[in-house]
Amino acid sequence: MQVSKIRIKSKKMKTRFLLPLLVLLSMAACKTETEVIKEPSVNAYIYDVDAEDLYQSNAEKNKQKSAEQYISILYANLFQSTVPQGDLADLGEIRKAIGDKQMADELILNAFVNDGSVSIPSNAEMRADIEAFVQETYLRFFLREPTAYEIFELKAEIEEDPDLTPELIYQAFALSNEYKFY
Amino acid sequence: MKRRHFLKKAALGTMAGVTAPYILPAGRLFAATGARVANHVVFVLFAGGIRQQESVDQQYLANQGLPTQGNIMLNMLEGAAPSSNLLFNLWSPIGGQSPLSQQGTLFKEVRYSEGPTGHFNGHTVAMTGRYTETGLNLNVNPTWPTIFEYYRKHSDPAKSAINAWWISEGLGPYPSLNYSSNPSYGPQYGANYLRPASILGDAGQSQFSNAVSYQPDDVSRINKVKALLDKNFMRDADDLPGIQNTAENREAIKNFKLDILNSVSTNQLEVATPNSDYNLLTGDLINVSAAWQVLDRFAPELTVINTTNLDICHDNFTLYLDFLHRADYGIGWLWNKIQSHPILANDTIMICMPEHGRNLASNNLTDQNGLGAYDHTSDENSRRLFTMIVGPSDKVQQNQTLGTPGNPAAESIDVIPTIAHILGFHDDIPAGFLPGRVLEEAFV
Repeated sequence: MQVSKIRIKSKKMKTRFLLPLLVLLSMAACKTETEVIKEPSVNAYIYDVDAEDLYQSNAEKNKQKSAEQYISILYANLFQSTVPQGDLADLGEIRKAIGDKQMADELILNAFVNDGSVSIPSNAEMRADIEAFVQETYLRFFLREPTAYEIFELKAEIEEDPDLTPELIYQAFALSNEYKFY
Repeated sequence: MKRRHFLKKAALGTMAGVTAPYILPAGRLFAATGARVANHVVFVLFAGGIRQQESVDQQYLANQGLPTQGNIMLNMLEGAAPSSNLLFNLWSPIGGQSPLSQQGTLFKEVRYSEGPTGHFNGHTVAMTGRYTETGLNLNVNPTWPTIFEYYRKHSDPAKSAINAWWISEGLGPYPSLNYSSNPSYGPQYGANYLRPASILGDAGQSQFSNAVSYQPDDVSRINKVKALLDKNFMRDADDLPGIQNTAENREAIKNFKLDILNSVSTNQLEVATPNSDYNLLTGDLINVSAAWQVLDRFAPELTVINTTNLDICHDNFTLYLDFLHRADYGIGWLWNKIQSHPILANDTIMICMPEHGRNLASNNLTDQNGLGAYDHTSDENSRRLFTMIVGPSDKVQQNQTLGTPGNPAAESIDVIPTIAHILGFHDDIPAGFLPGRVLEEAFV
């Protein structure tokens, strides 16, 4: 299996999306066309994945994540680790304590993204190579390559608005309809 | 930018951009389908199971074999406090206001006629206006519509969820009371639900400490990119269970939550205890304090809150008395705050009612003072309640007491039609939905 197939640019970036991929794959309702990688080490996750583990298009996503799946995968996407049990209990309690679940998810996402330990490129890093950022963000959140048009669209948005930061873009991805499906 | 730093810099801008739109009371701008008595209702489920003996009958320890009687609900009821055998620190009542019973009508004897006297049953009955026979605390939405759904569906113009709040002391099955499973109503007419102890307590402090209040420009940026992404995906993730606010209101409420979270972490939040002492808080008073923050920020037309700590009476009568005394303080504090609010003052009617009573006979447990404890197992005493309707003198009959043990003045199912009457939509509710009556004798 060759890492180059999925155009991963660095080990850091690989870990950003491969762990959530494994979390997703380990859920009960896995996609049948994907392959669960069972090696326990993170390095194995990094190097044993090939293009077949990515979605070929967003049309393949047809099941909505449960609340638990959404929170767990989001955490893994952003923190590159599984959500600790204590945090999961807290998050479950918070979600129950807020009637508007969309609001609860947005607040949780907001707190996650603004946690200092989350690996997010700086605005300058993003703007140094916008195309790479777009591609990596699609891989990280959507587990698929962006189409050429999607790259064009998001790149244009970023270029037009200097205040559009990676933090805001990450939140948009995490709140998008596609991210809520698998 | 971290939330606390951000808030210091952006507080003024946020307040101007977010708070101002909700200062306007919708009820004053538009005429409802029927005439309104007032534009705001606060329904306090003074819950946990309260006996008439220790509340409106002011018997204190008389049923424990001790001669001391007296009033421990000094904010709500007229009457002198016990002069001896005090088992807790007596808090002075809120200054500058007479007991609430003098500021409205006290239905001193009210009956919970049917069904088990369980907490969730009692809440369901009080919030739907229908008796229920189920004895289980199932975490499912009630079958009959809640008052929130009647309010939002039958008000004209229709009301958004930011106008209706259900704020509970505990979780358990209570989050499911903000809307029903009735096919004609349901979550699209439900209320915002909040359990402050979770948001302001350890869970919220732990998980939201990094959250920031975004400026509207940044919210627009997020939404713009989200729209771009959604445009390229054929499915819509719209089946999240429960109510959904409009995007604008959702932002306002999110900012509100982060604001009060911040004020708690910096000890700035004023709470419903003497001198705002955080060490004196109970779960009930946390709930009351947070409810006031909701009222202050959004001036909702319909707010339902509860207290439940008194249920400790199952095994500790002393703490039951203490918590009853403190909950009474909280209600007096809340009413005092409402009277200081530019929109709510003189335009709010508050209704207080326990969800059910407690048994006449004690169980076998005694507390540290040797006092017997009481359960609530549907005996006749546990079906005895009181209801207090408090409001401005031009709207609510003042200093009126109705009902005797032999002649109850109302039933617990009467509160919902009464709220519908106050907010002007009672006549629009379909026939057969509400078997209770409007407590018209409470109004001028």
